[in-house]
Amino acid sequence: MEILKVQKLCKTYGTGAVKVDALKDVSFSLEKGEFVAVVGESGSGKSTLLNCIGALDVPTSGVITMDGNNLFTMKEEERTIFRRRNIGFIFQSFQLVSELTVEQNIVFPLLLDYRKPKTSDVEEILELLGLTDRRNHLPSQLSGGQQQRVAIGRALITKPKLILADEPTGNLDSKNSQDVIDLLTKASRHYQQTILMITHNNSLTSMVDRVLRVIDGVLTDLGGNANEKLS
Amino acid sequence: MKSYLDLVPISAKVHRKQNCMSIICIVLAVFLVTAIFGMADMFIRGQILQAQQEQGNWHIGIRNISDEDANLIACRPDVATAADYGVLNYRGEQGYTLSGKNVVICGSDESAVTEIFTSLDIGTFPANENEALVTNNAKNMLNLEIGEQIVITMPDGSEISYTISGFINNTVGLMSKDSYGVCLTTESFRVIYPDGTSSNPADYTMRLLKFKSTRNIQSNIAVIKQQFGLSDEQVSENTELLGLLGQSRNSFMLQVYAVAVILFILVLVAGVLMITSSMNSNVAQRTEFFGMVRCIGTTPKQVMRLVRKEALNWCRFAIPLGVVGGIVLVWVLCFILRQLSPEFFGGMPAFSISYPSVIAGIVVGLLTVLLAARSPAKKASKVSPLAVVSGNANDLQPVKKAANTKFFKIETSLGIHHAKASKKNFILMIGSFSVSIILFLAFSVTIDFMNHTLTPLQPWTADISVISPENTCSVKAEYIEELWQNSAVKNAYGRMFAYNVPVIVNGEEKVVDLISYEDMQFDWAKDYLLSGSLEKAQSENNTGLIVFDSQNNIEAGNVITLNLNGSQADLEIVGVVSQCPFNNSPGVGKLICSEDTFRKLTGETDYTIIDIQLSKNATENDVRDIHSLVGSQYTFSDERMGNSNTRGAYYCFGLFIYGFLVLIALITLFNIINSIAMSVAAKMKQYGVFRAIGLSNRQLAKMIVAEASTYAITGIICGSVLGIVCNKILFSKLITYHWGDAWSVPLVELGIIIVVVAIAVILAVRNPIRKMKETSIVDTISAS
Repeated sequence: MEILKVQKLCKTYGTGAVKVDALKDVSFSLEKGEFVAVVGESGSGKSTLLNCIGALDVPTSGVITMDGNNLFTMKEEERTIFRRRNIGFIFQSFQLVSELTVEQNIVFPLLLDYRKPKTSDVEEILELLGLTDRRNHLPSQLSGGQQQRVAIGRALITKPKLILADEPTGNLDSKNSQDVIDLLTKASRHYQQTILMITHNNSLTSMVDRVLRVIDGVLTDLGGNANEKLS
Repeated sequence: MKSYLDLVPISAKVHRKQNCMSIICIVLAVFLVTAIFGMADMFIRGQILQAQQEQGNWHIGIRNISDEDANLIACRPDVATAADYGVLNYRGEQGYTLSGKNVVICGSDESAVTEIFTSLDIGTFPANENEALVTNNAKNMLNLEIGEQIVITMPDGSEISYTISGFINNTVGLMSKDSYGVCLTTESFRVIYPDGTSSNPADYTMRLLKFKSTRNIQSNIAVIKQQFGLSDEQVSENTELLGLLGQSRNSFMLQVYAVAVILFILVLVAGVLMITSSMNSNVAQRTEFFGMVRCIGTTPKQVMRLVRKEALNWCRFAIPLGVVGGIVLVWVLCFILRQLSPEFFGGMPAFSISYPSVIAGIVVGLLTVLLAARSPAKKASKVSPLAVVSGNANDLQPVKKAANTKFFKIETSLGIHHAKASKKNFILMIGSFSVSIILFLAFSVTIDFMNHTLTPLQPWTADISVISPENTCSVKAEYIEELWQNSAVKNAYGRMFAYNVPVIVNGEEKVVDLISYEDMQFDWAKDYLLSGSLEKAQSENNTGLIVFDSQNNIEAGNVITLNLNGSQADLEIVGVVSQCPFNNSPGVGKLICSEDTFRKLTGETDYTIIDIQLSKNATENDVRDIHSLVGSQYTFSDERMGNSNTRGAYYCFGLFIYGFLVLIALITLFNIINSIAMSVAAKMKQYGVFRAIGLSNRQLAKMIVAEASTYAITGIICGSVLGIVCNKILFSKLITYHWGDAWSVPLVELGIIIVVVAIAVILAVRNPIRKMKETSIVDTISAS
């Protein structure tokens, strides 16, 4: 079942001499439950692609449909609500709310939606992330790996159709990086969630279903079994 | 680039937007101080102009000095003008008359009339002993012309005639006492002075001196005293003028400047708070930059220097801008003053610059910046180079306590938490909100003080009073009706007085003045009723009101037994009023009753005084007609000039006080706007993340409003409580003690300042919310 469809996506920054085409006619689609990695050099356009798909940034042209909904025909308020219900974000630098506890951080998107979090759901996620005993800790009291796990929990709580992860292991050591990828894979399998992850780490792409490569704003689908193709 | 400090202007160009806030803070602080000092200066200048017109533009007067010494003093290089001046029949008790009316005779040199009192209206100073200058009121009443003769009757009945050489302006005293004024040469004055001889002139004239420079007058006086062997009694100072010029020990000007200094310190504190918070946020937003420069080898001291240089660099634009703004504001206020009271302030220069205010503005600008830069500079120097290496540069301060999300929606909870997260910041914010409210509420007491002390705005102030010369009930009551028919008369009302009436109250013997009021006066007294009922006193016989006196314990409900012309009568006190427009002798109470009661008690029917308020378009001819209606058997006291003087003082004082209140309100407004803008600016990145996670713009606005409201509500509560306490203390000291007015919660003032705070909060949140909405989430997250 197709969850995300990107058609002829273009994003241009600046005009005239300083004009930069960050994305050029990018088209691809993602199936439900698929775990996809986006690789590419710095400045190739990976983050721009992620920002556009996450409706954080507005493309210059092209269409992005999620579960049949065109993201950019919606009004700002509507798009925000759609995003918080259907897209989960994981950032490289975690971006947790420093004044909320682990548990509050995880349920934050639900609270924004004025929904009451189900205790069983929260317990399940805390259990999955191994953070049950840290639920009342503040982010400043956690290690980098633990903070990123909280960020994953926050992305999972609304049971979004799509999780966008921008180098989620970029700030972590190899052990924590592996743990995070394991978690994401588990989530993808367990909750049937589609994950689109940007990474620089080639070794991590072995865990994913499909690899997309961006070079100078042009996207190439490398298909599955990425490690072989990447090498 | 020759030095690492050259980075400052380059960086300033890049961070123009961020620096803008800090520059505005400095401009504001400098502007406020320049304006405060400029206004104090303007107030004093206004008072000097008024004092020069009322008292004369002289600095000291010397008595009992020989002509020789007087001439030697006049030749001193520091003396601008020296003139002899003497007065006869000043209080109207010596029996000199002109056409049957008291005449005040003064003898002076020409310079006294032209330079010190600037009173010559038309004509010339008397050229010989047979000529005289006459006041304009005599000219109008007696239809005099230059060249005509006037005859002054001496106390012994002899007459001396003079030829009129010109006319001089009326004075408040002359108009109020219904007297004429005549000015003679010193020589002819000496001739008529009782027992005066030209060989000993100094007994009856004073040598007035005006110094060229208004600085060091006290040392000039000391030198003159020493050189000519003058005693303290011989030398008298024009204390009011010298006080205003800052040349008197008991200096009024110093008091005004003391107020300005207190406000200067408060503005300095507010300025330091504003600039510190703005610089702190500026530094916090550039942690990465400071980490980077530390990484490449900059020492903490160099970082501190960088921050300080940056701050001083802002002063280059901010200080001149603030100073110019302050000067322009003072010009505007001077313009208003000139329009309000041209007769007094017409002489005020249109575009003068107050140097003390400019200096104060510059000093406050530099001081606030240097003081304010200390903490952010330290903060910047403490940024670890690791901050950049580890990528944690932009992490916010560690939080110690989690937000409470149980009671409010998440965005409101977070907004409240943001406000309270840093205790230091929260206290600083509440402090700055509260200081403004306290200042406003405390300072507003001066308005009541002004309204009590300066009377022309009182509704009962008369333009003209027709007074019984013997203070008896002899002014015919029927005049009232005739006056009401005159279109030049707006109001006319009379009062009967019975002075020093012995009374017995609560078993004690006392003395009171019994005064009658008619309906209009009872109506005016409404605002001053402390207890009891005016209506009862107005409508019921043998009832009355007592005027509050701190020495007196008479209350509503007491019965007073009056002893009038040998017979006794009881009068019930049905109310207490805080004040009435008449003075009394010490220890004598004031009792007010209706005309019917007064007539019944005393048997008198006519008035002691009839007060007349003129309509706006009343002319001098109308006044003359009224004068001829009542004739010359009464004292025709023309108070218009005096009223106009006090009105001038009121405008000056009022502009000063209201100006300060407006400035305090402005400080509140800008401080709140700036603080909240800073607070939002510091959290831009966090807000970006919230938005990425799914916080809608509406929720974001709610979050910012919740934060701002937390500051505002807590600040209002603290500020109001402390401000009301200050207001009460000041009120009891300044108002209740003197006039007995009971203190009440200053609801209007409280309302005004709360509205100002509310407007400030609305303005403060509007801009950041709009800005956030317009900025893309990606840009917000990457904002540094």
